[in-house]
Amino acid sequence: MRLARALLAGVVAALIVWGSAARATDLTLRFNDPEVKQLRAALDVFEQQNPGIHVKLEQMPWADVMPQTLRETAVGTGPDVMHIAFVWTKDLAAAGALLPLDKYIAADGGSSDYIAMDLATGRDGHAYAVPWTVDCWTMVYRTDLLTQAGVTAIPRTWEELRAASLKVHQVTGKIGFGFPAGSGATNTMWFIANYYWWNHGKALVVSKPGGGFGLGLDQSDIAGAIRYFADYLKQGDSPKSMLAINNWGDPAIIEAMASGEQAIAIMPPANFRQIVAAWRARNPNAGDPPLLSAVMPTELPTSVVNFGGRSLGINANTQHPDAAWKLVQFLKSKPIFTDYYTSQFPARKSMLSTLNFAPGMQGYAQQLQNARSWGPYSDGPVPINTMWNATGRAFGSAFIGELSVDQASEQLLSVIRKGLQ
Amino acid sequence: MMAPARRRTARADQVFVTLMLAPSLLILAAFYLYPMASNVWFSLTDLSLMKLRQGGAYIGLANYADALGGADFWRVVWNTAFWLTAVSVVVRLVLGMALALLLNSAALLRLRLRTLMRLALLVPWATPPIVAVAVWRWLLHPQAGGINRALLWLGLTRHPIAFLADTATVWPAIVLIMVWNTVPVATLTLLAALQSVPRELSEAAALDGAGSVRIFRHVTLPHIMPTIMILAMLMTFWTFNNFVYVWLATGAGPGRYTDVLATEVYLRGFVDFNLGSSAAIGVIMAVAMGTFGLLYVRVLGRRVAS
Repeated sequence: MRLARALLAGVVAALIVWGSAARATDLTLRFNDPEVKQLRAALDVFEQQNPGIHVKLEQMPWADVMPQTLRETAVGTGPDVMHIAFVWTKDLAAAGALLPLDKYIAADGGSSDYIAMDLATGRDGHAYAVPWTVDCWTMVYRTDLLTQAGVTAIPRTWEELRAASLKVHQVTGKIGFGFPAGSGATNTMWFIANYYWWNHGKALVVSKPGGGFGLGLDQSDIAGAIRYFADYLKQGDSPKSMLAINNWGDPAIIEAMASGEQAIAIMPPANFRQIVAAWRARNPNAGDPPLLSAVMPTELPTSVVNFGGRSLGINANTQHPDAAWKLVQFLKSKPIFTDYYTSQFPARKSMLSTLNFAPGMQGYAQQLQNARSWGPYSDGPVPINTMWNATGRAFGSAFIGELSVDQASEQLLSVIRKGLQ
Repeated sequence: MMAPARRRTARADQVFVTLMLAPSLLILAAFYLYPMASNVWFSLTDLSLMKLRQGGAYIGLANYADALGGADFWRVVWNTAFWLTAVSVVVRLVLGMALALLLNSAALLRLRLRTLMRLALLVPWATPPIVAVAVWRWLLHPQAGGINRALLWLGLTRHPIAFLADTATVWPAIVLIMVWNTVPVATLTLLAALQSVPRELSEAAALDGAGSVRIFRHVTLPHIMPTIMILAMLMTFWTFNNFVYVWLATGAGPGRYTDVLATEVYLRGFVDFNLGSSAAIGVIMAVAMGTFGLLYVRVLGRRVAS
C-alpha cells in the first residue's frame, strides 16, 4: 500500500513538473549589437515579471543577419523576436519572414509615437516591425586641432569641409577628414556618398511622378561625388591607409580622434561616445573633451541624413506570437534605455523629447530633427544590399585606380538601372 | 557455357554486392548528386533569396549568358586562376619542398632541431583559417599593425602601407596569408615522399661523383614526382574553390580588385540575393575544375606510364 502511494505521488509530481514544463514558453531573441550582457540583465527582469516565459538570447554579426533570416524563413525556423535594421523590414516582410503586427500595435496605443514608422511598414501597408532605436550620422570634430590650424568655424558646406580638412593637414601635419574609404563588402561609402548627394538636393533612387521608381542621379553626379572624396586621398589629408578601413567605428579612427592625430570624422553617436570615453581615459583630470558633433555639410537650407536605426520584428513562424509581443513591449519600454541599453536613443518621440543630450552631442540632437527615412530606396525594387555593395565597389575601384572615375560611375549606374528594370 | 549452379552463385554474388553498395550509393545520391542536380536546375532559374519559398522561374541559359558576358567576368577568372590558384600553389610547392629538404637534412638532425622544427611547422597548420586571417589582418593593419610599425621603425617606408588595400600589395598579401596557413600540408607530404627515397640510390650517385644538386635533380626529384603531381592537383582543387582567405582578408576589395569566383558566388547569392546567378557561377567553377582534373589525370597517367 505504501509503495503504491509513493508511486502515485511520484507519478503526480512528475505530471506536475511535466505540465509546468509544457506550459513554459521558450522564446529566442536575436540581438546583434555588442551590449549582450546588459540586455541579458534586462531579460532576466523580464523573466521574473513573466514567470513561465524563458528568453534565450542569441547574437549574430549584422552582416549575416539578413541572408540568414531569409534562409530560415524558407524552412520555417528562426528566432521568435528579431533585431533588424530599419531598411530590411520591407524586404523581410515581402519574403514572409515577419508577422503583421497591426493588431498588437493598435491595442498598444497606435503607431503615432514611433519614429520612422514608414520603414516598419511593408509594401502591402501592414506594420511588420516596431521601430526600436534611432540614430543618425553627423560630422565629428576635434576643436583643438581646428583652432590650431586656424579654422575658425565649423564647415557648413562640402567645399568648406574640403578646405578645413586640407588646412588641418597642411598646418598641423595631422589627418584632416579621415573617412573609412574601404570597399570590401561594407556599406561605409554608401552612407557617405548618399549624404553628399542628398545634401546637394539629389538622390540615387527617386519616386517617379507617375508612379514607380527611377534614377535620381546621372553619371556626372556620381562622378562628382567620387572625385570629391578621391581628392582627400589624393592630397593626403585623408591618408591612403584609410582605403583599408571598412568600418566607421574602426579602432584606427576612434584612436586617431581620441589621441588628436585626426581632426574630422563621420559616424553615428555610439562611436562618438567611444571617442569621448577613450579621450577621458587618456585625460582623467581634464574638463570637457575638445570634441564636437555637428550637422552634415550641405548646400541646402537644412542638412539631411537618414534615420539610422533598428526595429524589432516577430518571426512569422513563431509558435508564441503573444509572448513574443510581450517581449517586444518590454524591450521598447523606457527602463531599457535608461538602465540597460543606454548607448542607443529610443525610436519614440515621447521618450526622445525627454532626453538630455550632452554638449558635444548637440550635433546629433540637431541632425535627428532633419533626418529622413530612406523612402524610395527601401520602397523600390533594388535590394539595399545590392545598392550599397555596388556603390562601395564603384567608389573603391575609382579610389585605387582600378577603373576611371567615369567607368566606375557608369558601372554603378548600370547596376541600379538593371535593378530598377 | 556457365553451369546453372555457377550462374546462380554469380547472380547471388551480384545481389550481395549491390546490397552492400546500396547504402554508399544512396548516400552519394542524397548528398552529392541531388545537390549538384539542384544547383544545375537553380542556375537555369531566376531563384532569389527573397523568394525561396516560391521558387524560381525557368529562364534558360540567361544566368550563364549574364555571367560569361559580364565585363568583369574574365578578370574574376584571371584572379582565380592566376593569383589565387597558380601563384599560391607554385609558392607553396616550392617553399614546401625547401622546408621538406631542410627537415630531412642531416644538419638539422645533428643540431637536434628536427623535432622542434616539425612542431613549429605544425602551428600554422593547426591554426584555423579564420584565426590566421584575423591575425594577419592585424599584423598588416596600416596604423596598428606590427609589420608597418617595424617598417617605419627601420626607416624602410615613410608612410604606413595599406597592404590589404593597395593594388601593388593586396594579392601578395593574400598569397602570403594562404601560404603561411597551408604550406605545412605541402611540406609534410613532400617530407614523407623524401623519406621514401632509398638511401642507396643517393649514395650510389654520390660514389659516381654526383653533387647534391645533381642527386636532387636526377635521383630524388624523379622519385618524388608522382607525389608532387598529386599534391599539385589537390592543392589546385582546394585553392580554386577557396572562399575564406579572400573574403576574410579583403571582402573581394578594394573595389573588386580581388574578386574571385568563390566570392562572386557569395556576392551574387547573399548580397544581391540572386541565387540563380550564383548557382550558374558555381556550375561554371565545377565544370572548370572537372575539366582541369580530367586533363591533369590524363597527363599524369601518361607520365606515370612512360
